[in-house]
Amino acid sequence: MSLARSLRAVPIFMMALLSLLLGGCGYNDFQRLDEQTKAAWSEVLNQYQRRADLVPNLVATVKGEASFEQETLTRVVEARARATAIQVTPETLNDPQALQRFQEAQGSLGSALSRLLAVSESYPTLKSNQGFQDLRVQIEGTENRITVARNRYIQAVQQYNTLARSFPSNLTALALNYSIKPNLSVNNEAQLSQPPAVDFQKK
Amino acid sequence: MMRSPGLACSVLRMALWAFTLASLCGLAYGQALQAIPPLSARIIDTTATLKTEQVQAIEARLRAFEVARGTQIVVLMVPTTAPEDIADFTQRVGDAWKIGRRDIGDGLLLIVAKNDRTLRIAPAKALEGAIPDLAARQVIDRTIVPRFREGDFAGGIDAGLSRLMALIAGEALPEPRGAGGTARFASDWTDALVLLLVAIPVIARRLANWFGRKLACLLTGLGAGVLTWAAGAGVILILLSVPLAVLWGLIATMAVWRVHPGRQHGSWGNPNGRSGTWSEGGFRSGGGGNFGGGGASGRW
Repeated sequence: MSLARSLRAVPIFMMALLSLLLGGCGYNDFQRLDEQTKAAWSEVLNQYQRRADLVPNLVATVKGEASFEQETLTRVVEARARATAIQVTPETLNDPQALQRFQEAQGSLGSALSRLLAVSESYPTLKSNQGFQDLRVQIEGTENRITVARNRYIQAVQQYNTLARSFPSNLTALALNYSIKPNLSVNNEAQLSQPPAVDFQKK
Repeated sequence: MMRSPGLACSVLRMALWAFTLASLCGLAYGQALQAIPPLSARIIDTTATLKTEQVQAIEARLRAFEVARGTQIVVLMVPTTAPEDIADFTQRVGDAWKIGRRDIGDGLLLIVAKNDRTLRIAPAKALEGAIPDLAARQVIDRTIVPRFREGDFAGGIDAGLSRLMALIAGEALPEPRGAGGTARFASDWTDALVLLLVAIPVIARRLANWFGRKLACLLTGLGAGVLTWAAGAGVILILLSVPLAVLWGLIATMAVWRVHPGRQHGSWGNPNGRSGTWSEGGFRSGGGGNFGGGGASGRW
C-alpha cells in the first residue's frame, strides 16, 4: 500500500525535477525571448504596413502636380507593389533568404520614398500644399518608428542568440533544436562602406 | 651599464606611443554621442539660456500638470545633438529616462537643441493618440517656432506646453492615484512594508529618547495600527500589525543597535540632506514611458 503510494509519487517528483531542470537551463528564458522577438517583429511589420498605407495618399497628392518627375513617381508605386507582395509568415523569420528578400523590398521602397520627398523640394506648389506637407510629416514619423522598431527587433534577436550560443543554455538549444535567428542588416552594406563619390562638375 | 640608456629610450618610446594612442582615442571620443544629462528636474537647461525664475515657473507648471493629470512632461534644452540628428538623440533620451507613469506610460519629451536650431516633440506610445505626429508638427510650426525666431525661448516653450497640455487633457487617461500620501501609500503593499521596516526602527528610537523604551514601542505599535487602519486594511491585519510593530520596535531599540546615537541625531536634524532636495524637486521618472519614435521635429 505504502509502496504503491510512493510509486504514484514518482511521476510527480519527476515532473517537479524536470521543471526545475528546465527552468535552470534556460528553457523558460528561451520561451520568453522567443516571444519577445516575435512581438518585436510584429511591431516592425506594423510600422512597415503603416508606411505602405500612407504611400497611395502621397502618390495621389503628387500626381496632382502635372510636371512632376514621372520616373520617381512610378518607382515609388512599383516599390510599394513589390514590398506589399512579399508575404511575411513567422517562418520568414527563421529563413535568412526570405528575410533578405523582404528587407530588400522594404529598403527599395524606403529609398524611392526619400528620393520622392527630396525631389518634391523643387516644386513650389507641392511645398505650399498643406495636404502634401501633412503626409510628409506622417511619412517622416513612420520612418522614425520603423528605425526604432528595427532597432528593438535587432536587440531582441541579439538577446535570443546570445542565450542560444552561451553555455549552458546552448545545450538546451541543442536538445530542443532552437537555432539562432538571422538578424536584420542594411541591404546595401557593400555600397555603404564605399566612400561617397563627390562630383561638382556639371555634366 | 650599456642597457640602461636603451631601456630608458624604449620606455620613452612606449610613453610616446601611449600618448599618441591616447590622443587618437581622445579624437575618437570627440565624435562620441552626446551624454544624456541625469533626470534631475522637469525642465533641464544645460545651455543656461532660461532665467532662474522662468525655469521655476515652467517647473511649477509641469509639476501642477503631473499632480492634476498624472502625465509626466520633461523639457530638455541642450546646445547641440551632434553627431546624431535630434530624432535619434531624443530616442536615446526617451529610452534612458522612460518618463511616464509605470503602468500607463504617458510621458512627453520636448527637446530643444539651441545651436542646431532644431527641436523635437516626442510623445511616448501611450500619448501617440493624443498627440499624433501632425499635431506635434503644428505645435512646433505655429506655436513654438515663431517665438523662438524672436529669441523668446521661455515664451515658446511655455506656449508650446499649453497646446500640448490641452491635447493631453483631451485624451481619456486614467486619473492620477490619490493626491494625499496615505492613499498612494495604501495602493502599494510592498512599498508600505519596506517603509514600515525602515520607519519603525527610526521612529521607535526617536520616541525612546523622549518617553523611554517601552512606552515608545507601545506608541509605535499604536501608530502602525492606525496607519494600517488608514490604509484600509482588515481587522485581522490591524490586530497583527500592532504587536509586530511593538516587537520590531523593541528589537530596534535594543542597546546593541544604539551604538551611534550621535550620527542618528545629526542626520535627523539636517535640513540640507537628501530629503531636503527631494521635497524641493520631488521628481522621479515613473519608468513606464515607451518611446517608439513618434512625434515631430522642426527647425527655426
